[in-house]
Amino acid sequence: MALLPLLAALSGNLAHMSRAVEVYEPFRAGLPPLGRYWRSLWARRSFISEYAKSELHASHYDSVFGQLWLVLNPLLLSAIYFVMIKIISGSGDSTRYAHLTASLFLFYLVSNAMNSGTKSVTSSENLILNTAFPRIALPLSTTIVALFKFLPTIPVFLIIKFSLGLDFGINMLWGLVIVFIALVFGLGIAILIAAANVYIRDISNFLPYLNRVLLYLSPVLFEASSVSDNLAFLKAVNPFFPILNSWSRAMVHNEALNWAEVGSAALWAFGTFLIGTYLFLSREREFAVRV
Amino acid sequence: MSDQHKSGEIAVSVKDLGLIYKTTIDKKLSLTNRIKNLGRGTKQTRIVNALDGVNLDVDYGSVLGVVGANGAGKSTMMRVISGILPPTTGRVEVYGKVSTLLALGVGFNKQLTGRQNVILGGLASGLSRDEIEHHFEEIADFAELGEAIDAPMRTYSSGMYARLGFSVAVTVKPDILIVDEALSTGDARFKEKSLEKLKELRGDNRALILVSHALGTIREVCNDVAWLHKGKLIQRGKPNDVVDAYQDFLAVGKSAVVNEDV
Repeated sequence: MALLPLLAALSGNLAHMSRAVEVYEPFRAGLPPLGRYWRSLWARRSFISEYAKSELHASHYDSVFGQLWLVLNPLLLSAIYFVMIKIISGSGDSTRYAHLTASLFLFYLVSNAMNSGTKSVTSSENLILNTAFPRIALPLSTTIVALFKFLPTIPVFLIIKFSLGLDFGINMLWGLVIVFIALVFGLGIAILIAAANVYIRDISNFLPYLNRVLLYLSPVLFEASSVSDNLAFLKAVNPFFPILNSWSRAMVHNEALNWAEVGSAALWAFGTFLIGTYLFLSREREFAVRV
Repeated sequence: MSDQHKSGEIAVSVKDLGLIYKTTIDKKLSLTNRIKNLGRGTKQTRIVNALDGVNLDVDYGSVLGVVGANGAGKSTMMRVISGILPPTTGRVEVYGKVSTLLALGVGFNKQLTGRQNVILGGLASGLSRDEIEHHFEEIADFAELGEAIDAPMRTYSSGMYARLGFSVAVTVKPDILIVDEALSTGDARFKEKSLEKLKELRGDNRALILVSHALGTIREVCNDVAWLHKGKLIQRGKPNDVVDAYQDFLAVGKSAVVNEDV
């Protein structure tokens, strides 16, 4: 007889115990539980897209002139560089110009991801102090912004290539693989530098120089094939080298990819992404007291 | 979503909570500063003992007021309960849906409009788009911002900020609602309105944690008060007892000024 209420009490207790309980405990060094982190990040996917959308809106992406400016900026740069090349080396044909434009566009994808990712965490101080969410959503969404800013440059490049009378071919589709690799690389750098900027705030002062050095050391103003042997080490130490050279090979020269080079590009990209993500995740629980 | 909780059931259990963190002395730590201080032996970080062995249980149906001087660790404790800061020692268990969007988080991006900020803040805290849209009208109405809701938040006055923050915090009704000093700026009428709202939100199926310097409000709204000082729990009990003790400690007496401010 007395069993029933006891059972009821017990089941009540069980229901009580099984209710969604959040437990916050001191974290061990290293990564947070990855499964839980991923689920919580997945649940924020509309935050990521909405944040990217509002950033794009703020830069007038949804207006014609906003998009025009996005394209115009690297386009004018490529024109300036082309004139420079012509003056300095006295040579420069239409392939050279196509290479210059295509490479600049892709370089800007990574460089935009890096630049906008830098302050993605530190500028969201208020949100970080007052809301619990996976912080990696911030550099993720600035990288999406960089990708969207890159997209309109593809048709522009195709138009340029067409009007220069260069060949189109099926090998150009390999470009998609390279864009993906470049995007992963850009995301990796964005995540890495966003975390670093929490601890070293003047990174953004070095960025213009870093950008410039990377640009000049990458096969943008020159073609990879023209690099002399004593500078060949650049190919090994500069992650942009395999990425941009593969890109130019597919998009400009309409050649099949060199898979060793693609492998090296992918290794750089995923390596940067993994290292960046590891550093970010292992540090992000400290961000709230550091921003 | 919240009717499953019964009065008296435990909502939040804080056990032996300690939080120690390192923070920079210069607000912005830069490489130039790091290099400048290299070898000089000047410390650039200091250890903050924000919370120290705090034990606290909050039951459903109760309204817990948290009082304490500036720097007592009140906001820090709320951030631990919301899962924003991980504790250094101890354990926090939360039985239910806690408001992870503290009022101050609204308006994190001043370039965006009030509407965008509310939506983004809500999405970041894990609400679905439907939930936010469902509540949005109510939030905008309560905040009384009118057309300013679609203006960039850099154009807002501090009162408008506070009103929007409070509206978001109280409208998206979580099981465990944390309101952290969001009432302190706002005109008298809005203060009155917020007070009414808080009273309305007191219910059996919800736990309310109210952090405030407004001792009058604490006495009026809460049925349980905790007094924190320098990271330690000094006293816990009936509102009048604890607030009296706290006021004696502050030696401010029960003057009108302390009681009046919401």
